[in-house]
Amino acid sequence: MKITQLKDMLFALIIFAAAFAVNMVIKKFFVTDSLVPMVFILGIFLISLRTNGYVIGIVSSIISALTVNYAFTIPYFAFDLISPECVFSFIVMMIIAIMTSTLTTQIKEQEKSRAESEKEKMRANLLRGISHDLRTPLTSICGSTSAIIENYDLLKKDQQIKLLTEIREDSQWLTRMVENLLSVTRIDSEKVRVIKTPTVLEELIDAVILKFRKRCPNQEVQVEIPDEFISIPMDALLIEQVIINILENAVFHAEGMTMLKLCVSTSGKNAVFEISDNGCGIPKERLEKLFEGYLDRIDTHTDRSRSNMGIGLSVCASIIKAHGGEISAKNLKDGGALFSFTLEMEE
Amino acid sequence: MSNKYKILIIEDEANIQSFVGTILDANNYQVLTARTCSQGKLMLSSHLPDLVILDLGLPDADGLEFIRFARETSSVPIIVLSARTQESDKVSALDLGANDYITKPFGTEELLARVRATLRNSRYSAESGVLAEGSFSLHDLMIDYDKRMVTVNGNDIKLTQTEYNIVAYLSAHSGKVLTYASIIRAIWGASDPGSTKKLQVNMANIRKKLGAKPGENKYIINELGVGYRMCDENE
Repeated sequence: MKITQLKDMLFALIIFAAAFAVNMVIKKFFVTDSLVPMVFILGIFLISLRTNGYVIGIVSSIISALTVNYAFTIPYFAFDLISPECVFSFIVMMIIAIMTSTLTTQIKEQEKSRAESEKEKMRANLLRGISHDLRTPLTSICGSTSAIIENYDLLKKDQQIKLLTEIREDSQWLTRMVENLLSVTRIDSEKVRVIKTPTVLEELIDAVILKFRKRCPNQEVQVEIPDEFISIPMDALLIEQVIINILENAVFHAEGMTMLKLCVSTSGKNAVFEISDNGCGIPKERLEKLFEGYLDRIDTHTDRSRSNMGIGLSVCASIIKAHGGEISAKNLKDGGALFSFTLEMEE
Repeated sequence: MSNKYKILIIEDEANIQSFVGTILDANNYQVLTARTCSQGKLMLSSHLPDLVILDLGLPDADGLEFIRFARETSSVPIIVLSARTQESDKVSALDLGANDYITKPFGTEELLARVRATLRNSRYSAESGVLAEGSFSLHDLMIDYDKRMVTVNGNDIKLTQTEYNIVAYLSAHSGKVLTYASIIRAIWGASDPGSTKKLQVNMANIRKKLGAKPGENKYIINELGVGYRMCDENE
């Protein structure tokens, strides 16, 4: 807090000094006095725009008005608060200066509150979307279980097994959804930083593959990681979830995929994680907003498949962002999609 | 029918208790249940179960409190049920003496596998104690404790002293998750800020020498952020 205040004051001082210097130059080359207050007001405008709160803007307004009166009006380098002309111009200048500074500050605050309400709206949308998405599997679980309980003797064994299998699938989907939501709440509040612990790359990938294999036993994943010992500070559970989300995404969406590859390499201080497939690729119109796609989807809701795609990828993006890394997606030349993200390695 | 294993489930959520109980009952275990920590303590003292399945979030007291109480008097194996939000509790539970953990939600097979492994493991260590004697074998891995030798498929694996000590320690507790802290204590005694790193580097070398690849660790399982576990014979 103190540092930003100091910075603001320093900034105001520099602008003020610059305005003063410009005016000295103007006085040397031009005969007019009307430019002088303009330059100071420009300075105040800049100061109010860049500093926080009203105080610095108002204080510099008063100082500027006084300076104009002192240094740039006749008599030069003496205060003249007696002659009506000087007093009047002093007052007008001060009013203009103070109003400029309060106005700019107000606009800034409005901007802030608007951004906040935008965020509120987004959160409400997210909640609405999630409730909607949760209702579908819950309805089918409720329906199927009632069907089995009430018609136990009528249903054939294979019919029962079929219903039960669907119930299991739905609840597994719900579990994944809730896991993602948990991650969001864990990193959503900006003040809470992720707690990073040094994690061995090989162990991370091992855990990811085991977990993925449990969920999608029929999908083989090719793995390529560097031979040397690499340790990366991270919240391992969250990063594990990022990789699994992307892998599962490929399983659900990359039609025609025959190969899924997880590849990690190093580049300078960063570890680069790349997940690629040779499926159908990502439609162009979705590529741009892929990582914020959940909100778009709420209104259209065209595919009601168990995709979980939108929220999964936006969760990935916020997890990587919270780790200070970068995430991106693109289509490959020979077909298929490539997701990649970076994390800084331990020194 | 009295030779069934007695399993005490301490869990306040009725539905979870019911489904765990049903699975265990169907698999020929005798099931006892408790809803609260204090009830669990009473059941432990009066019924002397062979295994405890413990939920960490209980209404009247922390599940960790139960582990502390249990470990004062008994060495009954404890499997902890933990939710994903209880990461750190999981490690504390293991360090306090819990034998294993299962993260919710879990499947039937996973639960039964852990129960079997934990029961078998506790039976062995009850007979032979913690001291590693004789030999240990797992798939094609053999450890000769007397000669301090490790072989895979009959081929000698050249491990350093420390690496051997780690492998031997893990194998002596096979099937049980050992936290970083407990392994460090057993191998180096004191711990310092670099200890976990030292352990991880040693483990990386061991994996390399045993020929393990990501997703293909036949012998030692990485419990991310928690510790390591040597597989059990029947896994």
